[in-house]
Amino acid sequence: MIWAVLTIIIGTVGLALFGIIFGLFYKGIDRKVSAHMQGRIGPPLVQPFRDVRKLFTKENIVPENAIPWVFHLAPLIGLVATISILLYLPIGSFAPLATGYGDLILVLYLLIIPSLALVIGGFASGSPYATIGAQREMATMIAYEFPLAVIIMTIAWKLSSITAGGLGLENAFAMSTIVANPVWNSVSIVGFIGFIFLLLALIIVTPAELSKIPFDSPEAETEIGGGLLVEYSGRNLGMFYLMDSVKTVVMASLIVALFFPYNISNLFGLEAASIPAYAIDFIFFLIKVLIIIVFSVTLIRVAVARLKIDQIVYTYWVPLTLFALVGLILIMWDGYATTQLNLPTVVDWLGLG
Amino acid sequence: MMEQISQLVETLKTGTGLWNPLIWIVAIVIAFLIVYIIRSFGNKGYKKGTEQTKAFLSGNPEYDKEKMHVKSSNIYWGFLESLKWVYVALDKMHTGNVSDYVLWFVVIMGVFFIIMGVL
Repeated sequence: MIWAVLTIIIGTVGLALFGIIFGLFYKGIDRKVSAHMQGRIGPPLVQPFRDVRKLFTKENIVPENAIPWVFHLAPLIGLVATISILLYLPIGSFAPLATGYGDLILVLYLLIIPSLALVIGGFASGSPYATIGAQREMATMIAYEFPLAVIIMTIAWKLSSITAGGLGLENAFAMSTIVANPVWNSVSIVGFIGFIFLLLALIIVTPAELSKIPFDSPEAETEIGGGLLVEYSGRNLGMFYLMDSVKTVVMASLIVALFFPYNISNLFGLEAASIPAYAIDFIFFLIKVLIIIVFSVTLIRVAVARLKIDQIVYTYWVPLTLFALVGLILIMWDGYATTQLNLPTVVDWLGLG
Repeated sequence: MMEQISQLVETLKTGTGLWNPLIWIVAIVIAFLIVYIIRSFGNKGYKKGTEQTKAFLSGNPEYDKEKMHVKSSNIYWGFLESLKWVYVALDKMHTGNVSDYVLWFVVIMGVFFIIMGVL
């Protein structure tokens, strides 16, 4: 137990630095790519680092109507909770640091804390704009949790179910189980299409988790001047900026763990658990995270305009939930397709088995 | 005593998932220290009691707090607006006439019996 606690202490320091540095770096890439898509040159990749440094030199204003201790604490809690999620996610071929101490359900709950920190910070600002932004953030959270829950439950059902198509595994919510049994490996074309539905649904949930366009009505600079962040400045705003960067890495890492947990070190004939294997898999992991950020954050926010809060709720509760439920039904039918219709799994069909 | 402590720090296992609060608390404490150190590099000063501490309202005048208050019921506006079609339909069903409610009951029971009979 003492050894585990020591590992957690040292690992948390490493993961915090990893999350912050790579989060800011990915933010730089996101801004550069989106600028090129809009015909602009865009800022240099290190601009987010400069932004944080500049924010830290600015005055840390506390509005006169604010509740100061809550106002100061909210960004801290948000960033701390976001960093803690990294402990439960695999990074390349490194198993999650807290393997055996938490599962996917815990990750789902921890993902709520940064959003709640934004809400609490907004309410504590004592500003009408911030209050409206905080209320919108709450509505957005309620909206996207529904399809997100469907996605997570479907994956766990596939791994744990003992009916046809299910793998009948124990600890279906544990990341180690999910990563060891990639969802695509055991399904026929029916289940494959089902998982594509779920992946697309999760990609559309991601911008809302990160308060990015088109789901950024809680901030809506042009309408409510930054919403729940309107009264934040200086180092407190810098903390929220860092939280946003780390959460982007967290969400992309979660998608990688759920849908793309593959590593490539074995293709190079490298010995498992050797340093070169870890290095290759880590680089491959960073590339996967980058691709997911570009698709789920950059492309969507450049291509689509901001939705109103009622449109956000409708998008998540009606079309996207139905979309995820269709994915769930296809995966349930997958058992029938493989056992009764004798459809081969996609992996066998492509000769990748 | 030791047994009680070891039970307290044991990982909770449900068969489908697991969770150890102690490990999470250790991680949270360490992460909090790191974040607090990073935060301490920032400027903490500002000018109290000046214009900069007033709420930003896009240049609009700031009225009494009672007048400026945003009601908590606004949270549900997005839901009420986007699912209006559901609420309108539900509203129409609630006629306040008991015979209508009994009719609904009979119709739905009939549908259930048909489904159960078919399956």
